[in-house]
Amino acid sequence: MSPLRRFLRTPEAVAGALLLAMLIAMALSASLLFPGDPQAIAGPALLPPFQDWSLPLGTDRLGRDVLAELFHGARTSLAVGLAAAAAALVVGAVVGTLAGFAGGLVDEVLMRITDAFQTVPSFLLALAFVSVVGPSLGVVVIAIALGTWTGPARVARAEVLSIRERDYVAGARVIGMHPLAIAFREVLPNALPPVLAMSSVIVAAAILTEAALSFLGLGDPNRVTWGGMIAEGRAVLRTAPFLSIVPGIALVLTVLGVYLAGEGIVETTAVRRGLS
Amino acid sequence: MNLLAVSNLTKRYRRGGKTIAAVDDVSFHIDPGETLALAGPSGSGKSTIARLVLRLIEPDDGRIEFESDDFLALSGAALRARRARLQMVFQDPLAAFNPRATVARVLDDPLRIHGIASRAERPRRIAALLERVGLTANLAPRAIHEISGGQRQRVAIARAIVTKPSLIVLDEAVSALDVSVRGEILELLLDLQRQEKIAYLFISHDLGVIRSVAHRVILLDAGRIAENGDAQTVIGAPQSAIGKALVAAAPRLNRAGP
Ligand SMILES: Nc1ncnc2c1ncn2[C@@H]1O[C@H](COP(=O)(O)OP(=O)(O)OP(=O)(O)O)[C@@H](O)[C@H]1O
Ligand SMILES: [Mg+2]
Repeated sequence: MSPLRRFLRTPEAVAGALLLAMLIAMALSASLLFPGDPQAIAGPALLPPFQDWSLPLGTDRLGRDVLAELFHGARTSLAVGLAAAAAALVVGAVVGTLAGFAGGLVDEVLMRITDAFQTVPSFLLALAFVSVVGPSLGVVVIAIALGTWTGPARVARAEVLSIRERDYVAGARVIGMHPLAIAFREVLPNALPPVLAMSSVIVAAAILTEAALSFLGLGDPNRVTWGGMIAEGRAVLRTAPFLSIVPGIALVLTVLGVYLAGEGIVETTAVRRGLS
Repeated sequence: MNLLAVSNLTKRYRRGGKTIAAVDDVSFHIDPGETLALAGPSGSGKSTIARLVLRLIEPDDGRIEFESDDFLALSGAALRARRARLQMVFQDPLAAFNPRATVARVLDDPLRIHGIASRAERPRRIAALLERVGLTANLAPRAIHEISGGQRQRVAIARAIVTKPSLIVLDEAVSALDVSVRGEILELLLDLQRQEKIAYLFISHDLGVIRSVAHRVILLDAGRIAENGDAQTVIGAPQSAIGKALVAAAPRLNRAGP
């Protein structure tokens, strides 16, 4: 059975993929369906949902179109989540490979640094970093990556430690290959599968962290974010709960979708590797 | 003049609190174009000697002179450059290559690393190398795991001769192959030796194979040299206890023997 067929036979994986596809469609179509500034005033303030079909999800305290904000927020969530996870995976894989392959003092120093990062709760780290450097999309991405690269680093190192004893690594040394070329061309690609298997959890966590930072007012102020929308809605939670509930549901579905689809992919590829 | 001269080579490992000498005060030499065999029971230190000679591990004591230079004094770029002259073929031809590699990439690496051929020239060189080891050039784009074990070992030999080495270390290089393929590979090795004057450090537990390819043989026992001499003589009439035991354990030799 092909991996795709196996993926499609797992209901959770399909549900995850559909949710994810919806999110991506929202992110991609945001500026097509809602051109112009989503933070501009579009109608009367605090219009409830399903009252006016030009503003299907109503408006917030300042009269901004909630649906437009939701679409543009999807874009921020996805961009930050993917960028932060990619940064964490790349840094983690590189650090883990260097530590595992070099061994000795290099390993010792890199792993003590990893320990240091791991002992600080990652959300506190992100919070501190954004507070010091100032909120912008790039800073938020770095802040989230700062707290998440340690997991991939440990997994990559463990994998590299077992791979570096294999004959083909000795073979690469015998033909005179440079140690860095051996580490990154020969060893790293073969150490990647278990590292990449962590990506769904990391993306999901990054999206949640971004939302939490935005909720605390530490997101990029020039962009709509779901976390920011929830924070906005909090002031009128009793009279207009939908302002917090709508982006909250979007967030939950997104994290669920990323997680389920990612697990589905890992599951189907793991089965394939187990069979061969 | 010796091609390789090893003197008083010693490598110790700590195991469970006490130190064992995997290789204990071993000295030998190899002349250009000669085959020296290393034989001995499992754990006697054959692979350790191979790895020491190739500078894959460092000795605790001893000297290695290769092509009249102090081989242990080389490091970094100088060592990597000198590796062109000293190559290796492993026992398991599948484990010896990156699982993602293709045949072409395996041969392209040494050509590129040692600046032997320009990028444009390399495909032709790779084709010629494949033909030299009895393969067809159309194997080049295939993945390493898509070819047979015998073909893979030929690719391993091709990789070892890319840089025109003067010595190739073969650690059980034919042990994993079935008998008919083994004969062909040994034939190829002998042919290369005749044509290119390559010396071999030939590690094997098969005394029959050793008798058919080696000029001299060293029998190892627990990291020490137990017996050392002309391959026909030593295998025909071993003097050491370990030599007698090894010959007695080789059924084909007994039948062929006097
Ligand atoms: N990295 C290591 N750490 C600890 N002990 C080792 C290490 N490598 C080898 N040894 C020990 O050194 C001794 C010699 O091992 P070596 O692999 O050289 O034997 P060998 O003659 O090649 O055996 P075989 O015929 O089974 O391949 C063995 O006792 C082995 O357990
Ligand atoms: Mg061995």
